[in-house]
Amino acid sequence: MLLRGLSWLVVFQLVGTALNVLFFPVLPGPIIGLVLLFIYLLLQGRVNEPLNEAATSVLRYLPLLLVPPAVGVIVHMSDIKADLWAIIGALVISLLVSLLFIGWLMQLLVNRQARAKDKS
Amino acid sequence: MNLEWQAALDAVIEHPLFAFGLTLGVYQLALFLYEKTRWMIFQPVLVSMVILIATLLVLDIDYADYKQGAQLLTLMLGPATVALAVPLYLNMRRVRQVLWPTLITLFVGGLFATVLGVALAWMFGAETLILKTIAPKSVTTPIAMLVAEEIGGAASLAAVFVMITGVLGAMLGVEVLRVFRINSPAAQGMALGIVAHAVGTARALQESEEAGAFAALAMSIMGVLTAVLMPLAVALIA
Repeated sequence: MLLRGLSWLVVFQLVGTALNVLFFPVLPGPIIGLVLLFIYLLLQGRVNEPLNEAATSVLRYLPLLLVPPAVGVIVHMSDIKADLWAIIGALVISLLVSLLFIGWLMQLLVNRQARAKDKS
Repeated sequence: MNLEWQAALDAVIEHPLFAFGLTLGVYQLALFLYEKTRWMIFQPVLVSMVILIATLLVLDIDYADYKQGAQLLTLMLGPATVALAVPLYLNMRRVRQVLWPTLITLFVGGLFATVLGVALAWMFGAETLILKTIAPKSVTTPIAMLVAEEIGGAASLAAVFVMITGVLGAMLGVEVLRVFRINSPAAQGMALGIVAHAVGTARALQESEEAGAFAALAMSIMGVLTAVLMPLAVALIA
C-alpha cells in the first residue's frame, strides 16, 4: 500500500519535471507536481488510502529531508561573514515583522468575515 | 596482530551509506533532545545542522562528498513536496470557507515579506549580489535557487538564506505569534507558510493539521507567485 502511494508521488513529480522542461522553466518540477496532484484530488473528490498513507509517512520525515541542504551553509561561510550583520538584520527583522503582520492580517480578515456572516 | 584501524575508519567514512547513516543518527539525536526538553531553540533541523557541520569539519569531509551520500534523503524532497497536496486537499473545506481572507493575505503578506527583506538589507548596506539573493528568501529552496539565478543573485547562497529564514521561522514563529495572541490555526499556518516555506510548514504540521494545510497552501502559492512575478518585477525595475 505504502509503495503504491509512493509510486504515485514519484510519478507526479516526474510528470512535473517533464512539464517544467516543456512549458514552465521558472517553476520547479515538484511544485508543478503538487499542483497536478491537487487538481487530481479535486477531480477524484477523495484521497485514496495508499496515497494518504504515503503522504503521511513522507511528510512526517520532511524536517529530516531538509537537513542535508541546511548543512550547505558550510560552503558559504566567507560570503556570509562579509555581509554578516546586514544579512542577519535583514533576515531576522523582516522575518519577525512579516510573520506578525501576516498572522495579524489573516486573523483580522477571518474574524471580520465571521462577523459579517453572523449578521446576515 | 596488526589491526588496520585507520583503513577501517576510512572505509566506513568513504562508504556511500556513511552520510545517510550519519544524518539519520544525528537527526534522531536532535529529535530526542527536542522531545525531552521541548525548548524551541532545539529545532531538530537546526540542531542536526550544527552537529553535522561540526562532524564534517572534525572528520575533514568535503560538503560535496557529504551531499553526494545524503542524496538518498534529498531525492525524496521532490515527492515530499508533491505529498503536500494531500493535507492541502483534506483541509480544502476549511480553506474554502475563508477563501478571500486567504487570498488577500497571500498577496499582501507575500509582497510585504519580500519587499521588507530587500529594503532592510539595502538599508544595512548589503551588496547588490546579496540583495538579489535575499529577495526570494521566503520560498522553498528549489524555487529560491532558480529565481536568484534568474535575477542575478547566487543560487547556492539563496539556499542558505532560505534555510536560515526557515529555521528561524520554525524556531520562533509559533511562539512569537502566541505572544501577540495570534492563535488561530489558519493565521499561524499562513504566517509560517508565507515566511518560512517548507521548514515553517513542517513546524505548522506539528502544531495542528489545519495549520499545516494553510501553511502548505501559502507555501505553494507563494512559491508559484515568486517564481512568476519576481523575474518580471526585477526586469521592470532594472
